[in-house]
Formats: sequence, C-alpha cells, structure tokens
Amino acid sequence: MTLRYVGKGVRRVDGADKVTGQAMFVSDITVPRMLHARVVRAGVPHARIISLDTTEAEGMPGVRKVVTGQGCGILFGTCLWDQPPIAVDRVRHAGEPVAVVLAMTEHQADQAARKVKVEYDPLPFQLDPVEAARPGAPLIHERNGSYRRVEYIVRSEAGTNIFHHYKLRKGDAAAGFAAADVILEEHFEFPLSSHCSLEPHGAICRFTQGGDIDMWASNQAPFVVRDVLADMFKIPVTRIRVRVPYLGGGFGGKSDVSIEPLVAYAASQVPGWAVKLVLTRKEAITSSLIGRGMMGRMKIGARKDGAFVALEAEMYFADGAYGDTSWPVVTVAGHNCTGPYEFPSCKVDSYGVYTNSPPVGAFRGYGHPEGQFMLGRMIDLLARKLGIPQGDLMRRNFLCEGRRNGLGQEIKRSHGDLFACLDKVEAAMAGTPLPPEDDRYLYGRGMAAMAKSPKMAANAASTAYLQISNDGSVFVNLAGIEMGQGCQTAFTQIAAEALKVPIERIRMYREVDTQFTPWEWQTVASMQTYRGGRAILQACEKAVELLRLNASLVFDCPVDEVEYDGDACFRKGMPANRLPVASLARGYMFGNGLTVGQPVQATGTYRVNGITEPDPETGMGNAAGSWTFGVQAADVRIEKATGRIDVLHFASCFDPGRVLNPVTIRGQVAGGVVQGLGAALMEKLEFGPDGVIRNANFGPYRIPTIDDMPGKLTIEFVETPNPEGPWSAKPIGEHPIVAVAPTILNAIGNATGTEFTRMPVRAADVLDALRRKEGV
Amino acid sequence: MATISLKVNGTPCTVELEHDRVRLSEILRGQLGLTGAKIGCGVGKCGSCTVLVNGEPVTSCTLLARKADAAEVLTIEGLADGAVLHPIQEAFLDAGAVQCGFCTPGLIIRTYSLLRNNPGADDAQIVEMLRHHLCRCTGYLAILEAVKLSRERMAQG
Repeated sequence: MTLRYVGKGVRRVDGADKVTGQAMFVSDITVPRMLHARVVRAGVPHARIISLDTTEAEGMPGVRKVVTGQGCGILFGTCLWDQPPIAVDRVRHAGEPVAVVLAMTEHQADQAARKVKVEYDPLPFQLDPVEAARPGAPLIHERNGSYRRVEYIVRSEAGTNIFHHYKLRKGDAAAGFAAADVILEEHFEFPLSSHCSLEPHGAICRFTQGGDIDMWASNQAPFVVRDVLADMFKIPVTRIRVRVPYLGGGFGGKSDVSIEPLVAYAASQVPGWAVKLVLTRKEAITSSLIGRGMMGRMKIGARKDGAFVALEAEMYFADGAYGDTSWPVVTVAGHNCTGPYEFPSCKVDSYGVYTNSPPVGAFRGYGHPEGQFMLGRMIDLLARKLGIPQGDLMRRNFLCEGRRNGLGQEIKRSHGDLFACLDKVEAAMAGTPLPPEDDRYLYGRGMAAMAKSPKMAANAASTAYLQISNDGSVFVNLAGIEMGQGCQTAFTQIAAEALKVPIERIRMYREVDTQFTPWEWQTVASMQTYRGGRAILQACEKAVELLRLNASLVFDCPVDEVEYDGDACFRKGMPANRLPVASLARGYMFGNGLTVGQPVQATGTYRVNGITEPDPETGMGNAAGSWTFGVQAADVRIEKATGRIDVLHFASCFDPGRVLNPVTIRGQVAGGVVQGLGAALMEKLEFGPDGVIRNANFGPYRIPTIDDMPGKLTIEFVETPNPEGPWSAKPIGEHPIVAVAPTILNAIGNATGTEFTRMPVRAADVLDALRRKEGV
Repeated sequence: MATISLKVNGTPCTVELEHDRVRLSEILRGQLGLTGAKIGCGVGKCGSCTVLVNGEPVTSCTLLARKADAAEVLTIEGLADGAVLHPIQEAFLDAGAVQCGFCTPGLIIRTYSLLRNNPGADDAQIVEMLRHHLCRCTGYLAILEAVKLSRERMAQG
C-alpha cells in the first residue's frame, strides 16, 4: 500500500508557533498573584549550616516570604529517597538551595537574596568517584543504605559513598580471559558536563487555599513530577495538576525531576500565591542536573582470529550529592557497555558514588556513551594489536541473529543490521579519501559502532486519547513532550496514515496537562515515536471500528460488511452509498433526529511487555525491549603548529527500522553528532580548588558553535523491517551521540599516534602530545 | 521612577523602569508581553534574545533599557505580516531548521538583519553571522541551509 505521510518530510506541526515567537515556554508564562523566587545557593561544596539569618532579607521591599529548610522533614525520590527539596542543616554541593526569597518582582527578590546571611562549618569535599568509593572515605550521606529505596533495583552499600552497585556476571570471565590469545586493558575518563538545553529550567507552582497543587514546569516527565509531589506532600495525585508548555530542549536534563520539588516546597509556604522560578544559565549548570562523570577501566580478551572471548569493566560514576536520577544510568551503563558486540563472558561492576557536585541525571544516551566510549576505543586498539582491519574485527563480533547481548537476550534479524550500517559508512568514507600528511597538517580516520536499548520502568507505557469531531477532524491527546525532537509531528503523521485522512485533519493537543492528558510514563529513552506511536495506532484502529459499527446500524448489516476508506463508510460491493465520517462521528442522526451508534472516541495504550529489572546477582535478564544499532566514522585534520582539530567528514548510519520523517530524523542525527563533538573536544565542568564549578556559563563552558560543524556530514539509514514500532520505526533520538566520542578519539589517535583515553581532547592536549613525541 | 519611550514593531510605547539596570529584554518580555525574545544565558553569549534596535541586531539581555530610549525596536513578533509569514520564517520551516524553537526567534531576527542589509551575503558572511548564536538541537546544519534558502528566496523577491 502506498504511504501518504509515513516516510515523508512533512512540516513540523509546532513550526509556525516557533518561527513567530508565539510558542510559550514556562519563562513566558505569568499568572495572577505571582511571586518571583530568587534562590540563595550554598556556595560551598560540603558543609554544615551553623546559622541562617533571614531577618534583613524579610524586611526588604516587596518581600513576601523567605523560605528555608528549617523544619522540612521531606526527602523526595522515585526509587531512592535521599534528597530534601531545600538544604536543612547541611549542604552537599555548592549549588544547593539554602533559602528562597519570594518577592513581588524579580529585582526585589534578587536584592533581598543578597541580604540572607548563612554561616557554614566546612566538611571535606570529594569530587573523584574512585576516591569517594574507597572504604573509609568521608561519608556524604551517613544514612546511605538506610534511606527508603526500591531494594531490588537500588543496591546501596551502607557505610560507604556507594549508593548503587550494578554487577553483570555473564558466563565465566576468568575462563574467558584464560582462553584469550590477546588481552588489552585501559583506563578511561568521561567528564561531568552540562546538558545546555537553550531553555534554562523553570517552574511555576501554586498551593491553592483549597489544598490543590497547580504547576507549570519545563519538564520531560510531568506524571513523575505529579507522583513525586503527591508523595512529598501526602496528597492524592488527583489533586495535583502539572502542565508542560513547549520545552526548549531537554536531553535528559529535564527528567525526571529537578527544580520542581524546591519550587513546590517554597509555594507550600505561601498558600494562594503562585511562585515562579526560572533558573539563570549559571544555575542551570550548578543547580539542576548534570551528566556523565565516569572513571572506568575496561579489559577485553580476544582470540587471534578476532573473536571476542571476555570483557571486564569497572565504572565509577561521580553522581553528585543525590542518587535518585542517576542509579539507572549506572545500571544501563553497565549492562550495555558491551555495545553492539557479543561477548561470551562478561564481568562488569558499575558504581554510583555520592560526590559533592550537583546531582547527575539522564543525559542523551543514558550511560551508553560512557560505557561505549571505552568499548569503541578498545576495539580500535585491539584491531591494531591483532593486525586485523577494524571493520573486519567489528563484523566478526557484531550482534546479529542468534547472538546474545550482555543481558543474555537473543538478538533477532529484525533488531537491526549492523553489517549494512558498516557497509554504508565504509562506502561513504571511501568516497572522501584521507589526504596524506603535509607540512601543516596530520590527518586521521576513526570509526566506532554503537547499540542502545532504552532503560525504562518495567511498567512504562504510553496512552493515547483520540476523538473524531463532527467535521471529520481528529483530536489526538498523548503526553509526549515536544522538546524539539519532533514527536508531535511524528504522531500527526502516524494518525493521518492510520486513519487514511488528510494530515491537516489531525490535531495533537498542544499542552501536556496531567489533568486532561492520559497517563504516560515520561518522554525519555527515545521512546515517543515508537511507544506513543503504537498507542496512537491502537486508538486509530478502535476509532475506525466504531465508525464501522455506527455505519452498520444505519445499513442494518453485520459490521464486517462495512468498509472504511478514510472519507466514508460503505457496504461491501455498494461503494455508491457512502456515509461520510463526519455524519458518523457523533453517532448517525436520521432526518427525524433519531440517532444510532455512539460518539467516536477511543483510547490506545502501548507498553513493551515482559520487561523485568536485571537479576540482582547476575545483572542479566529481559531488561531491554528494543535495540537500535549504528556505525559512525570520521576524518580529522590536526594542525601541527597549534594542535587544532577540525572534523573534515563525519559519517553516520543507523538502523531505526523505518525513517518516519526524513527531515526530523536528519535533525536528530546532525544535532546528536555535533553535541557529541562537544563532549569529545571541548566540554567539561571545571571545579576550582574550592569545589565550586568555575565555568558556569556559556563562554567559559564552551559548547559547539557553527565553527565546530564537520566540513561534511553524511547521514544514512538502513531500514530493517520489524514488528516492534509503527511501520517499523524504532528509537533514534539519543543514538547519534553514543559513538561520537570514540569515533573522534580513534581518528585523533590515527592522526597523531597518541591514544587519548580522557575527554575532552582539546588543541592544547594534542599540541602537548605532539611535542612530547618530538622530544622522544 | 524613570520612563523611556520607544517604538516597538511600529507601535510607540512608554514604559517605566523599576531601576536603572533594567535590560531591554525585561521591558519587552515583562512589560510589553513580547516574549518571543528568549533568555538563554543572560550574558549575551547565546543570541536567543536578539532583536533589532535602530536596525542593528543586539542581545536584548545585555542592553540597558535606558539606552534604548527613543529607539525603534523590531522583535520576532513584528516580522510576519499578520498571518503571512516572512520568507525567512518560511525558509526555516522548509529547511527543517526548527527543533526546540528556543534559539529560533533570535536566529531569524539576525538573519533578517543580515539579508536586509546585504541581500547578496556570501556563505562566509552567513557563517560569520551565525557565530553569534548557540543552538543545542540542530548541529547547525539545517540552520545554515535555512539562511541560504532565505537568501535565495529574498533575492527572487
């Protein structure tokens, strides 16, 4: 059947709002009786609060209230309840809130916040996760191990700073290494970084005097926020309303919860008033969620013919002051550090460690970039040690039909075709031969493959509501947060295709509102097109059934004799007698008013069924429900005199099952690649000797600009049919970033002969390496 | 309290300044309801708050409002002709240059400024212009294409 919308580059449904400045973000919203919040931050990385004096601030013009943590007994979380919404008697990172000034204007709040006086008794602070994990290291949480938690999945080690330890034990790794002809081992470092979505976090919250909570939040997970607030304040979820307008980028930094508990706690102190907080860029870096922060070691054993026999890895995550948003990153980094390859035996230990930085959370790729950074570098090194071309070594070990991943799950052909991805990337690179070294430049080529499977709650589902109106237009309501990835456009395409109606007839509900939008787990893990799309498909099928049912009552015939073609229903073999969809949408009304049938509305749900958490002892199990594979390669040019690194060509090929929209998917890949270049070449949160982040704004914290774009971007796809996603479409949003860092560092290694294992690699690092080599 | 008078998107207005460090962006967003200019950094590095002041692109988050007294200001809200989008806005949509949309208004305003003053801007001038803006979503590929497409379409009139 010819597809009208699936696979087509239809225009974004949110585009016109965004090019005209009409798109509303949280910072654009003003509500009646609204106070502006300014937060007083710790400024020291670890200390006890000796005294907190708000008297002078409270007397400043326009100030309504200064909220502190005194008397706050709340710890919030979703699986690990270790964080107060505001510091009570101790601060564990420099950006932690200690007081919130609520005033009539931002300026008044700002002026008064300067008058809050806090005295601290400093405690030793720790930023290195390996040091912090050692026995006897000063404790950041004395209660670690006794906090409320979901014990099956959060494995805290009491008396240490390790709040989560994931271990994978697949086969007998010791025997695997004993049988290896070649063993390679390296240490790696993936620094802490900031998501830098262009929109800083914001929230508005009102505790009504009737006892309800009303919130607007820049958040990817409004239902999680709702559940967390219900738990914090011990009120039913039905009395909490969370609305998400447009979201100015997320990348994981606006999931699950970040500033919402603080804003809600402040609002709870001034019932009837709304409290608005929009973070500055500095605060978004120091006081929301940050990402990555891994120090690791990987060891791979292989036979002479290139067959992998064993993998051993250790990863220590500097997860910051609180652990609820990072423990699952630790888990998935562990079980997916095997990437797109089969290792018959694995021994992996992945640790979430409390440190004195802002808490780490999801960041595009969710543990996969960290683990597969090590893996991608190791395979390049191993290929050279074995004397096997890297592509051949990859092919020798790729996951494919019948092979098993780290979790022990058997891979099927429909899961994706790494071989075809590699073929396409190799062909693209062959089209732009690498120039030989010249007086001014060195050139190098690198490559890496990736695999990602979403980490999700085992009950994670999407739910859609669909209603056909009396003019035949269709409303679809689903809580997929539009944060730039284009899910609302994909949903619209899916509904139009499934209902066989012109796309203009489909309208997604714009704002997600937990009061009106059906429940959805959250917009993370690149799952919206895939999971939300399946929910919409089911709703469409049910709606068509209802249209046919209504028509059957008019025709007075069995339902299965009624056909539907997008415009109308008709009886089989009698196409002339048509009942237009519009005439059936509210049931069918005869001339005398008699109405039969029912209004056409339907719901649909989709959950990846059969998912379980990994087994606590082996770390294996059916913990992943979908896989997307890809291969990336790059050519870099290094200027000998300066160490400057230019990416001449970056090629990517992914197997997303089906390209639903070639324009938006290209945006995801180009955007992911350039974000990955930021991680590989420039981004790192720098802490001063005082434990405070030094580069907390754009400028000092450099992210890619147009000058950092690769000279050429090749973006290709392989489309392997599968029964999983709508028209085979599978997750692709995060994937383009996963293998960028190893690809680039492999290329730099190829150019310079220096094997970098820490990021970022900046010009100065390359220059140092070149000079060291000259000196030898 | 000091007041300033300015013309925003063709409409004269007079606003009061709460204090002498009020930025133009606060006036536009807070008092005039023109929230199209976005605050991504507050220090003039990301370009999301770009508007035209007397025809020149400025980061409204760093410009003191009192310095905009008597100025003519164009914001993203003033670019389309009613419900008819400006060719640059159309080009951004056609090129797929819009993702989260937070950086988009500033980019479009600066593109307008460049192409109005220099309709034949070459690729290097386009890249030079785009250096003033940060985007975390697109990798700049589609933005670059959108600006080139805008140039083409505006040249065709």
